[in-house]
Amino acid sequence: MSYAYLFKYIIIGDTGVGKSCLLLQFTDKRFQPVHDLTIGVEFGARMITIDGKQIKLQIWDTAGQESFRSITRSYYRGAAGALLVYDITRRDTFNHLTTWLEDARQHSNSNMVIMLIGNKSDLEARREVKKEEGEAFAREHGLIFMETSAKTAANVEEAFINTAKEIYQKIQDGVFDINNEANGIKIGPQHSPANQSLNVSGSGGNQGGNCC
Amino acid sequence: MAFLQWRRFNFFDKETVKDPTTDQVFDLLKDVNVSACTSGRGQLVIGDFEGNLYFINRQMELTAFRAYEIRVTHLIQLKQHNLLISIGEDEQGINPLIKVWNLDKMEHGSPTCTRLTRAIPGNKPTPVSAFAVHDNLNFMAVGFENGVVLLFKGDVTRERHSKSRNVFEGTKRVTGLAFKTVGKDVILFVVTDSSLHTVNITAKDQQTKLDDTGAEPGCIVMTDASQDHQLVIGRPDAVYFYQPDGRGPCLAFEGVKLQLHWFRGYLIIVGKDNKGLPRAPVLGPRGMEMNTVTVYDIQNKFIAHSTAYPEVIDVMCESGSIFIFTGDRKLYQLQEKDTQSKLEMLFKKNNYSLAISLAKSQQLDQDGLIDIFTQYGDHLYGKGDHDGAIDQYIKTIGKLEASYVIRKFLDAQRIHNLTKYLQALHKSQIATEEHTTLLLNCYTKLKDVSKLDEFIMTKNREVDFDVETAINVCRQSGYCKHALALAEKHQKHEHYLKIQLEDIKDYQKALAYIGKLDFESAESNVKQYGKILMSQVPDEMTDLLKRLCTDYRPNDGGIGKIEKAQAEEFIHIFVNNAGKLTEFLEHMIEVQPASSNLVYNTLLELYLHDMVHEKVIVTRVERERKTLELLKNPDANYDIDQALILCQMNNFKAGILYLYEKAHLYQQILRYHMEHNEYVHVIESCKKFGQQDPQLWVQALSYFACKEENCKSQLMETLTHIDKKNLLPPLMVIQILAHNSTATLSVVKDYIVRRLQMENDQIAEDERLIKQYKEDTEKKRIKIEDLKTSAKVFQASKCNICSHALELPSVHFLCEPHSFHQHCFESYSENDMECPVCAPENRKIMDIIRAQEQSRDIHEFFHNQLERAPDGFSVVADYFGRGVFNKVTLITSQVGKGAAPNLR
Repeated sequence: MSYAYLFKYIIIGDTGVGKSCLLLQFTDKRFQPVHDLTIGVEFGARMITIDGKQIKLQIWDTAGQESFRSITRSYYRGAAGALLVYDITRRDTFNHLTTWLEDARQHSNSNMVIMLIGNKSDLEARREVKKEEGEAFAREHGLIFMETSAKTAANVEEAFINTAKEIYQKIQDGVFDINNEANGIKIGPQHSPANQSLNVSGSGGNQGGNCC
Repeated sequence: MAFLQWRRFNFFDKETVKDPTTDQVFDLLKDVNVSACTSGRGQLVIGDFEGNLYFINRQMELTAFRAYEIRVTHLIQLKQHNLLISIGEDEQGINPLIKVWNLDKMEHGSPTCTRLTRAIPGNKPTPVSAFAVHDNLNFMAVGFENGVVLLFKGDVTRERHSKSRNVFEGTKRVTGLAFKTVGKDVILFVVTDSSLHTVNITAKDQQTKLDDTGAEPGCIVMTDASQDHQLVIGRPDAVYFYQPDGRGPCLAFEGVKLQLHWFRGYLIIVGKDNKGLPRAPVLGPRGMEMNTVTVYDIQNKFIAHSTAYPEVIDVMCESGSIFIFTGDRKLYQLQEKDTQSKLEMLFKKNNYSLAISLAKSQQLDQDGLIDIFTQYGDHLYGKGDHDGAIDQYIKTIGKLEASYVIRKFLDAQRIHNLTKYLQALHKSQIATEEHTTLLLNCYTKLKDVSKLDEFIMTKNREVDFDVETAINVCRQSGYCKHALALAEKHQKHEHYLKIQLEDIKDYQKALAYIGKLDFESAESNVKQYGKILMSQVPDEMTDLLKRLCTDYRPNDGGIGKIEKAQAEEFIHIFVNNAGKLTEFLEHMIEVQPASSNLVYNTLLELYLHDMVHEKVIVTRVERERKTLELLKNPDANYDIDQALILCQMNNFKAGILYLYEKAHLYQQILRYHMEHNEYVHVIESCKKFGQQDPQLWVQALSYFACKEENCKSQLMETLTHIDKKNLLPPLMVIQILAHNSTATLSVVKDYIVRRLQMENDQIAEDERLIKQYKEDTEKKRIKIEDLKTSAKVFQASKCNICSHALELPSVHFLCEPHSFHQHCFESYSENDMECPVCAPENRKIMDIIRAQEQSRDIHEFFHNQLERAPDGFSVVADYFGRGVFNKVTLITSQVGKGAAPNLR
């Protein structure tokens, strides 16, 4: 299927916070209560529509285990968006956010859009991290924040789509150089750079690097 | 610390390959110094450092031939064609030679070599380090230690038309090459010791660098279609997958990898997995290093087999098994277990979700899957995970008997789960009536109105349940609105009305609903529920009935033909509501004058009833007028007898009289008046109806005669009338009057005198007539006698026909006498026996006689005449005169009015 843009995402966070389940819910619309540990890096894709444009999301679901960190790190590069996930029922996963954030910032491009996600919002009874805390952390570090439940699918769609919107907005604003694939953004096959320049100028972007 | 490994199973049976003829361990290769292995088309191919090629077929028979003078270095057996392509050396020094062998064509016990090409990049010979052939036989790539990749384009089996070019020039040894076709493009993956590239050989050899790390030789494999033909590269930290456009996922299987192989969705990794073991390296027999062969199911994420082998030389995937060629020159065969035994192993470990995904990836049939779902469901149920269990059971819908599941959850009182299951059952359209009932009961038990709403109220949803059952269940459990909505949606009028009237008691709505129905339903429903509706909403109900009985048309604008119901069928509905009934019936007879008599009867009854119970005189008069009007209405089709009874019962004089009159019961009228002693009316009615029934006067007479009080004038008048019409013989009159003690002679004197006078006159007249008749008779007798005895002289001088002088021949008749010319007579007379002049007169008389004769047999006529005649005697006399009692008919006797013609 043809697309206007391809965005690369990466999902990071401690082991067991529900990264793979979020991806499964987003791509397959199902929930698997028993999920094996992710060994390495997995991959999922889905088409979404933003502003009437087809956008393909290519999502890298990483293993949260510390021992796989060196492998997963190599996937940070070339991601336009990151979902940084913690588990609202486990405070330690929240406490590790700073480390994850540093890691991500260090190994990815600086424009990467990071969304902070407090997962397992369906387990309200076992909550350890307040929503306000998540919000505060996000505010402090300039992240978008959302609480989701991969089990009930609450906010899952929104989390991925809002991130995409943010990236899309950054493209419109000219923050991303869309011709550099290292930014995690690819122009679709039918959108040649020539066409693209028309599109971008139409939306008032100050795209400089476009010449044919 | 969690297990950083996939789950481990043993889905392969390992056995040492035996020589089938000797049943000994296969050891024919024990002295071979193996340099390269390949397989395909049912055979294993092994090359050695002496330049020999060995073939092992399915029966484990070994054949061999010498292919190179010095050694074989690389071998590729094509899968689609029976071609073997080898690289080896015939001469000392670095001089790699490509040979293509056609295995179908044997020549002196060895296959034909169809091509022989030197593989030298540029002019500097370098050892070959990697080798790949595209399956379409058009591309062959050779990688060298100096980092150059040489591509041969054109038919690989022939030297001719084949062109070669350098498509890649790196600095590091080329460790792996692989082709991939993407649409029209052919991509060549080039793996070196330190990098990974793609070369698009169909698009100007466009190069893309995919990664900064390379791989060791052997640690490169292409997946099959199940994994989208990705390139897999094994590195010590993980196994990475690559697409032509970049790196894909990775699997963190740690350890030094020696070889990677692909077998039907399995990734086989030969590794030195000795990390963490205390004594390294592990030495096998004869001091060989042990290697681990691990088979990974990439799709379902588990390890299907893992065993250690001494120094694995190569792994060949052939004939549905994996052959492992080890350093001790033994062949091990790994045979995949069948799906069923794999599943059983998974079941034993309660690993159902894996079983399901495995079954799916192995294309297990539906029944098998259902079986797994059932077992999984049972397992989860047993564990108490009802939510999970029901999810599995739902997947079995359509195959597994639903009652099995339902009973389980009913027993366990798990209504939530049961509801979910039943919902799914309905969605798949196989729910029965009982299921619907159960589901609705579940909803009502759970008080889950929203679900119930969804189930029932959702518009335009396909109905997947039995509507009547649903309505009944909803009603019983008090969800009347839902039942109502259902009934309305599915046109179950009966149910709708029942609910609306009996449960909700919204009569207006029920009425409005009836109004929307088509005629037949409306009619039957009105009959059924009319009484309730009438008692609750009389006005609207009456309106509806009016509509129904005149020109019914459904309210919602249907153009259906106009139909009418019979008004009388609805009368019973108006029990206890006479006012409305009156209104209704009035409307009916107004719109439809030809209504049945029941309608009129009822209306009349109502009128009379009203009238009688009306106290105010003015309105009562008005009522009477109305009633009478109805009675007098010429269209009014009431039953007179019944009307009469009604009037009598209600003592409605005007009505009674009118009805008597209408029924021609004048006597009754008279009697009525008599009973009420209304003399004037008696006389009046006698006058009025005396024409039709003269007997009235007689009755009046006897009535007045019996009266004690003075009613002389009436008596007189009556007598006058009786007299005028001659209704009673005087004797009778006297007799009647004699009963009366008050009647005096003076009353009757005039009458009697007059009567007697009249009788005298009559007698005198009669006597005169008798006398006259006697004289006539005598005259006739004399004439007859005369004719018989005396002669008759004909002296007529003129012919009675032509009035000319009579000439001979002439005819004379005795009658007048009449005389005719003969020719005149002949031309005029009809027969010669009669006188033409007298004949018409005679015939008239004859006809009368004949007519009398005929009519004397018509007795009814006679009796009729007799009855109607004022004087019966004269009728009898008349008949007597006609000869009623005459046996001898007049026709036969020629009463001699004429005589035989007298010819002269």
